[in-house]
Formats: sequence, structure tokens, C-alpha cells
Amino acid sequence: MNSTPLDMNVSYVRKRSILRQFGRYLFLVPATVIFMVFIAYPIAWVVTNSTFDGESVALGNFVGLQHYLTVITDPVFWVVMRNMFLWAAITIPVQMLIGGVIAYYVEFYTERWRTFFRTLFFIPVVTSVSVVSLIWIQIYAPYYGIGQEYLKLFGIELANSPLGDPQYTIFALIVVNIWQWTGFSMLMYIAGLSNLPREILDAARVDGAKGLRMAVSIIIPMLSSSTKSLLMLGIIGTLQTFPVVFLMTNGGPNRASEIFGTYIFKQSFVIGDLGVGAALSVIVLLIAFILSVLQIVYLGGQFDSDNKRNTP
Amino acid sequence: MKQWLNKENRKSIVIHAVLLVLLMIWMIPEIYMFTMALRTPAQVFDPSLFVWPITWDNFVTVIIDNPLHVFFINSIIVTVMTVLAVIVLSSLFAFAISVLKLPGSLVLYAILLTTLMVPIASLVLPLAILLKNFDWVNRYLGLILPYIALGVPFSVVVLKAFFEDSPKELFDAAKVDGCNAFQVYWHIALPMVRPALVFVAIWQFIVTWNEFFLALVIMTESEMKTLTIIPMQYSGFYMANPGALFAILAIIAIPLIFLYVLVQKAFVRGLTAGAVKG
Repeated sequence: MNSTPLDMNVSYVRKRSILRQFGRYLFLVPATVIFMVFIAYPIAWVVTNSTFDGESVALGNFVGLQHYLTVITDPVFWVVMRNMFLWAAITIPVQMLIGGVIAYYVEFYTERWRTFFRTLFFIPVVTSVSVVSLIWIQIYAPYYGIGQEYLKLFGIELANSPLGDPQYTIFALIVVNIWQWTGFSMLMYIAGLSNLPREILDAARVDGAKGLRMAVSIIIPMLSSSTKSLLMLGIIGTLQTFPVVFLMTNGGPNRASEIFGTYIFKQSFVIGDLGVGAALSVIVLLIAFILSVLQIVYLGGQFDSDNKRNTP
Repeated sequence: MKQWLNKENRKSIVIHAVLLVLLMIWMIPEIYMFTMALRTPAQVFDPSLFVWPITWDNFVTVIIDNPLHVFFINSIIVTVMTVLAVIVLSSLFAFAISVLKLPGSLVLYAILLTTLMVPIASLVLPLAILLKNFDWVNRYLGLILPYIALGVPFSVVVLKAFFEDSPKELFDAAKVDGCNAFQVYWHIALPMVRPALVFVAIWQFIVTWNEFFLALVIMTESEMKTLTIIPMQYSGFYMANPGALFAILAIIAIPLIFLYVLVQKAFVRGLTAGAVKG
């Protein structure tokens, strides 16, 4: 305990290094604070409020799981679940397929036109979704919409607008979504393709693999990281879906095209039932959470930066 | 040999032609937007893609009649502020976890990661109430701050991957030379991951510019609205004159398309350099 000058020096250095260490944590502060206030707190809020009576902003009585019961006994909720499932099950693979094929031909068979194709196929992604929605309303419109007019050329005659028929509405909306986001899948696959080691492709070609066989047995397995990213982004995108449906059908006709976004919007802001709105929000969060855990377990890290292996 | 060349050439021409046809079909909705905007009221209900003659009247009308510049300015303020803040906050955070490797920071990162999947739909209600309590409804900050919070996780993931790929020796050398953590961040780390920063900035710009749900709920006063929510209000207003509505749609769509064409090279470079990995 006798304090020599040397000891003092050591403790001074240690204190300074603790201070410096503490100072370094400042790097984490801004992002953490904004995250706590605008993501963590809202999540805590919906979890709490989903178990209380919510006539007003102030908490009412504790009602346990009653709001959840209200939600799952509402037939609209199951329409929403069906629509969200269809949305993911159709848009994700179709976008991957079309985007992947375009990427393959653009990347391997064009040179001077490559940038041209890459850029133009991506344009729908950067077109504001509300603009896209209104354009497609016009395309689907009965009598004067070009959609039905051009389908006649192929002998398909629609009795009315696909947006007005409860059976087809969700598919009509899915088409719009696929149209808007395929360019994104294309670009992700182009990124994947441009990183493929050329030697492996050349070796396979020398071995006589070409065309479809080459694509199926060599290129597709080597693009699995792009595919995984697209799967994850596709699921996020599905749960995020709102403007296309809100603007084109607002969940109609007869709530046939209702999705989580429009359902929550109506419960919370139109009807004003905050408890049920919160319960729905929690259900969406749970679905997102379960899906992301499943993906991490079955597909490995979502954005695994160590995953440098390009070989199958 | 000559035969083979011809065959390759023919194949290339066919592929180009097919891609071009596909692209033309794919672009029909975009082309339709422009050709609708160039029609007279008498032509708008003609179910064809091209109508002749064209008129620029719709553009003149909507620009004179509506304060579109106000919505542009709103969108620009919200988007630019969000992009800048996301870049700063996420690069600081990613630097701390991947270069400084602060104890405990990986736990924070894991928590952040779980929110990559959080859909806006589930946060709209609490955010609306929170912002109302802060009296930030119809304020730029009311949109900017939640956008930052929602944008940071993805950006951190991308930047972390880039920081971890960059040569450690440079950081160590800088430390030996007496740079403090912030100097290392500012003078060495940031310039090294510039392609990733550009990529994140472009992507964040597109996402923020086009965000709809929160903007719809938070910006209720008409002079605070951002560009994505105004087509909805004009669709009722110009019900009888779709030509004018489509002129507005075109005016809204063009700047971002133009901007993307300008920066697409940097965007694709960031993406192929591994901005989004497996």
C-alpha cells in the first residue's frame, strides 16, 4: 500500500486508460440512444398495451390476452395470414427466377449494353411506390385500362377489373409487387455472378458443362449467398408491404386483400382500438422474430461476413 | 472457325434482342405514365399505350396550380438529414464493434440485428403516440428520427463487414503513431470503406425518399407532406382529369430515376464489392 512514485505512475496510466476506454464507448452512444427511443421503447409499448384496455392513450384495465383472442377469432385476421403467405410464397421465388435469368444473360452475354440493361431493369425499384400504385390502378382499370386491352390480344377477356374481384385482387397486387422488385433480385444476382471465380466456370466449360447444366449444377449453388439474402429481404419486404395495397384496394373488396399493414392501420387509426392494434403489432413482431431465428438456424448467419466460400 | 464465330455472333444477337423485347414489356408501366401525362382530356380514356398528338398542357397546369416545390423541399430535407445521420451513427457504431472491439459491444450488435426484421407496420402505432407526446407530429424531426432508427441496423451490418475486411495493420500502425480512436476512425477507417458508405447512402436515400407508411401517419398537415403521400390526395382531386394526375406522378418519379442513373455505377460497385453478403 505504500505508494511509490512508480505506483502512482501506474495507477495514473491505468486511470487514463480506463478513461480512454470509457471515451470509446461514446462511439456506441448515438445509435444506441436513438435505437432505444424509437425501436426498443415502441416495442415495449405495444407489448404492454396489448394486454390493457385501450380506449385512450392512457392505460385502462388489465385484460390479459383478451385482445389476442379478439384478433385470432376475427376471420379477417386469417384472410391477412393467407394473403401474407401467398405474398411471400409467390413474390420471392418469382422475383428470384426472373431476376436471376435476366442477371445471367446480362452478365454473361452482354458487354456494351450491360449497364443499359442493369440500369433500366432497376428503374421500377426507384420509382416511388405510390406512383407505381396509381399507374397500375390505371392499367387494371376496366374499359380504358391498357392491361385488359392487351390481354385481349392473347385471347384473355376479363369480365371486370381484377382489383374488383375478391378472388383475384391479391394476385393482381402481387403482380405489381413482382414488377416493382424484380430489378432488385436481378442486381443482387449480378453482384453474385460478378464475384464468381472465372477459373471455376472455365474449368467447368472445358469439362463440357454448358447451358442449362452449367447453370443448374454450378452457377446456382455458387449463388446461394445471394439467394439467402434475397430470401431474407423478401420476407422483410412482405411484412413491410403497405402502400401498394393501401393505395390500390385499401384491403378491399370486402377485405379480401387485407394485409398486416392495412389491418393494423384500420384497427389503430380508423377504428381507434389501440389494444387490438397493439396486439396485432405484437403478432407481426413475433412472426418476424420467429422467421429470422428460423433463417439463422437453417440458413446460417443472415449477413455472414466471414462466409467467403464461393465454392459450392 | 468462321462457322463457330458466326454461331456465337448469332447467339449474342438473339440474346440481345430477347432482352430488349423483355425490357420494353417491363417498361410499359413507366412509358404509360409519360404517355398518359401527355394526353388531352379527350384522349385519356383511350386504352392504348401511345396516343397522338401529344400535349404538354398537363405539366403546365399542375405546376402552376400546385405548390409541388413545397413537397419536394420537405422530401429533400427529410431524406438528406436521414441519410447523413444514418451514415454517421452507423459508421461510429460499426467502427466500435469491428475495429475497437469494445467489450460488450457485440451484445449490442446482436440486439440491433434482431430489429433488422422489425416491420414498420408493427411500430407505426406506438411511434405515432410517442411522437404526439413529444409534439413532433408534423415536424421534420418526427420523421427523421424514426427513419434513422430504422435505417441504422442494415447500415451497421454492411459497414461492419467492410471494416472487418480492411487490413488490420493500418489501424495498428495508426495507433502506434499515437492516433486516438476518433482520429483512426476519421482519417483511416472512413476513407477505407468509402464504397460501402456510398452504397449505404444511395440505398438509404431511395428507401427514405419512398417511405410511405410513417409519412402518412406523421405528416398530416398538407404543407408538411412528403412527395410519396401526395399522389394519393391528387388522385381524388384529378379524378376527372387523369392526364394531370399522371403529370404529377411523372414529376415525382423523374428526379429519383434521374438521380439513380447518375449514381448507379457507384451503387453497383458497392454491391459487387460485397456490400451485401451471404
